[in-house]
Amino acid sequence: MWTADSRWNEIMSNENITKEEIAAIFPKVAETMADALGCDVEKVKLEASLIGDLGAESIDFLDIIFRLERAFKVKIPRGKIVEEARGALSEAEFENGGVVSEAGVTRLKSFLSEVPAERFKTPLKVAEIPKLFTTETFCKMVIRQQRSMAAAGGAKPA
Amino acid sequence: MDGHFNAFTFVNRITALQPGVSVSGIYFIPPGIGAFPQSLVAEALGQLAAWAAMSAVDFKSRPLAGIAGLVELLAPVRPGQTLELSVELESVDSEATAYRGAASADGIPVIRLQNCVGPMLPVEEFDDPQALREHFAVLRGNGSMPGGFGGIPPFTFSRNGGEPGQSALAALQIPAAAAPFFADHFPRRPVFPGALLMNQNIQLAAAFAVEIPIMGQASSLSDGQDARPTWNLRSISDLKLRSFISPGEQLELEAKLAGRTENSATVIVETRKEKKLAGSVRVSFALGGNS
Repeated sequence: MWTADSRWNEIMSNENITKEEIAAIFPKVAETMADALGCDVEKVKLEASLIGDLGAESIDFLDIIFRLERAFKVKIPRGKIVEEARGALSEAEFENGGVVSEAGVTRLKSFLSEVPAERFKTPLKVAEIPKLFTTETFCKMVIRQQRSMAAAGGAKPA
Repeated sequence: MDGHFNAFTFVNRITALQPGVSVSGIYFIPPGIGAFPQSLVAEALGQLAAWAAMSAVDFKSRPLAGIAGLVELLAPVRPGQTLELSVELESVDSEATAYRGAASADGIPVIRLQNCVGPMLPVEEFDDPQALREHFAVLRGNGSMPGGFGGIPPFTFSRNGGEPGQSALAALQIPAAAAPFFADHFPRRPVFPGALLMNQNIQLAAAFAVEIPIMGQASSLSDGQDARPTWNLRSISDLKLRSFISPGEQLELEAKLAGRTENSATVIVETRKEKKLAGSVRVSFALGGNS
């Protein structure tokens, strides 16, 4: 099992995701998002906020995730995105009463390194975390899942 | 007859079930109703998927209509026919279920669904989990009594604007909570079924499609009846329902030409409530000759 061992943390870490890896999948991610949102692909910039800039709603997140799964032949762990963002922090360390703790915000800033610091509100509610997601967030999500599948001996990334 | 599991239920028996993987079932279309639109065949497949998904999560959550990537409309059905339904679950968890499916009527394929996603919500908000468990056992056993569906209710649906050949606007008044289907969809929280909205979207798209000019002519209507094309409904795609529609609400529908070739046309229909987008769908037609 991969869970909680150091290799898993390495796979799920952002630190070694390169700009080249992101650039390689960005066109397909942008096309997938544009199809899901019914907008022009030119509007889907790497740094665009899904909710703020592209007007995505919760049903669009589901749509995007399932389309990305089909496009890249990966399994994206729905409902575990925030859990993944939490990393090694326990739930109690990450949030209190639905508000992200200081340690949690620090962890989020590292995990969502593509999000400009000024977009992290204080206090930040857990429910508001998806507002931070950008196109690049989804590119990284795909790359991490491609890596985890490759590490587990799964199909070669599409 | 109690409306629950009758007034808007389109599975009479589950004939095979591989938990979390696949499910098959049948539905007897009541012979006495006026029509059974294809959107209700899609609803039957969605309901079969919902039974499989609910049983996979022990009736803690249920999928609701959300996304249909592609619905191929292969042949019409008529009252009195028996639908054979089959669904493959691609995934099911507490967040969502993804599935594809197919339906045949008397052995002839009538609908294929692909890339469908239903967000999972707490069952208790909509229905009694124990009642669902018990009805699931009936469906898995000898099946339920056919004939509960009384036909599509009449709607107040009026075209009220748009540019011929470019767009069409219509108002749709959702019936009050006393409408029989609300007792079944759902007992604890009446929600206007996505399949009925889909049906109204298709009707507006079809009425609008008649106005789409034939390529090379200024307008299909300008040359008289003989030049009027017959647009045959082929598929609907990218259906997305964004919010619940409650009894008594007033909706605005808008159909717009999204693309066309010499032999095909695609119409986007958007549904709004209080100016906010509540749903959208692409309806595709193929030119079928002059009427």
